[in-house]
Amino acid sequence: MLLHISSFQLDIDSQRASPWHQLVPQTRVLCALLFVFATALTPNGHWWTWTIYAIGLAIGIRLSRSTLSVLLKRVAIESTFLGVVLLGTLFRQGGTVLWQWGSLQITTLGLMILGSVAFKALLCLLMLNLLVLTTPVPALLNALIVLKVPPLLVAILASMYRYIAVLIEEFQKMRQAATARNLMRYSRWQRLIMGNMIGSLFIRTYERGDRIHQAMLSRGYTGLPPAVTFSKVRQPDIKVLTLTVIWLLLGQIIYL
Amino acid sequence: MHHNPISITQLSHSYPDGTEALRQINLSIRATERVALVGANGSGKSTLLLHLNGILLPQTGEVVIGELSVAAANLVAVRNFVGLVFQNPDDQIFMPTVWEDISFGPMNQGLSQEAVLHRVHHAMLAVGLDYETYAARIASNLSGGEKKRVAIAGVLAMQPQVLALDEPSAQLDPRSRRQLIQLLHQLPLTQVIATHDLDLALELCSRTIVLSHGQIVFDGSTEVVMNDRAFLEKHALEMPLSYARPYCELQHQCELQHQAVQNRIAGQYYR
Repeated sequence: MLLHISSFQLDIDSQRASPWHQLVPQTRVLCALLFVFATALTPNGHWWTWTIYAIGLAIGIRLSRSTLSVLLKRVAIESTFLGVVLLGTLFRQGGTVLWQWGSLQITTLGLMILGSVAFKALLCLLMLNLLVLTTPVPALLNALIVLKVPPLLVAILASMYRYIAVLIEEFQKMRQAATARNLMRYSRWQRLIMGNMIGSLFIRTYERGDRIHQAMLSRGYTGLPPAVTFSKVRQPDIKVLTLTVIWLLLGQIIYL
Repeated sequence: MHHNPISITQLSHSYPDGTEALRQINLSIRATERVALVGANGSGKSTLLLHLNGILLPQTGEVVIGELSVAAANLVAVRNFVGLVFQNPDDQIFMPTVWEDISFGPMNQGLSQEAVLHRVHHAMLAVGLDYETYAARIASNLSGGEKKRVAIAGVLAMQPQVLALDEPSAQLDPRSRRQLIQLLHQLPLTQVIATHDLDLALELCSRTIVLSHGQIVFDGSTEVVMNDRAFLEKHALEMPLSYARPYCELQHQCELQHQAVQNRIAGQYYR
């Protein structure tokens, strides 16, 4: 899982040259957000809409020249978390009953909703992972500020990104220390030790947060992150945004 | 540059659990002086440094930085005057990229885009980091020595008059430590260096302040105190390696006597 990743880099495809990479980060974020919203707000059962979106997304992924294996691996890991949530929709009442066991029953409506939500989730995850894979995280954060996300929220996201590697490293050191004293040999012990480690990691994080805040104060921090200036939107950005909107509307028109 | 950037009178500080971290500290540091702050763990070094920057406010006594007393109303000016470099660079480098982190201080000062760029360039040059190579690097992927440089550059970019460093050579390999010493040697700033690295203190600082249980027990020439084995051991310290070897001691006997005479003339004191 995440705790076993030794080096942690989100944006492995950010330095490639492709039409997608030529767009300024705020355009990429905007395209992704439009895509996610359009996909998520489409009523259940509109399969053709999502098929059109999927074709658009496939073209986007092809154009961005991102590493397909990494993209799929990430989506697969994230899907397992989603799967747990989605399972509940399968046993929904309504429609024709296809299978029944006690109070549990699978109906046509349940299957349709599960299929729709799973399709939507898959498309959204692919889009967002493509964005994160191809855009440097600092640029992504700046793009959020341009798009008027509250700066404090972006500052919190920036700290999370900055410190996740530090936390992973700290956890691994603790685990090594435990292994070095043969404390990880028995699985019952292991669970207990892991629990303690996570507890002490929490306390350390809290203390570190305090020290980081001191370091911020000592460099004149007054409660709001300083304002930055950004790259301007150019001609290709507007073209791609327009194309995205047209494509998204096209998907919706089919069912009108 | 202010001629007497730091002056502390009767400063005491207790932590909420009742620990008395500082007791009756009196201290004055002149411009461009390089002062080592040494003492055992828990002797109050870091607490004293945090007072210089107004992270901790004086409970009793007064800390005057330049012309300003350290109080809530003067904090912005005080923090622009004193740059504090923390012990662990991971605590200090909190922005994702090197550029963003170094520009954090100048941006908080409300400088224009060009001025910030100029400051960042200058600070990176001062610590020996190539702008093109490092500006866009992700902070968590740097080595320990590089992180230390970025941390110092982040403070230098604010153009402070006093640089306060907490354990600057901790966790550095010998080459990074040597580069750090050279860097600090070149910087024409008043420097207060809290350290356990007595060789570094000996090399960089002509003046040393020894803290023990929150009190100043020595304030004077570094050479003199580093030669006093009994005194150092009494306060949980030991002679620098460069002095601790017998042949070095022989070599320094003459210097010690010479210093003792000078010491008496200069009116420096043991308490």
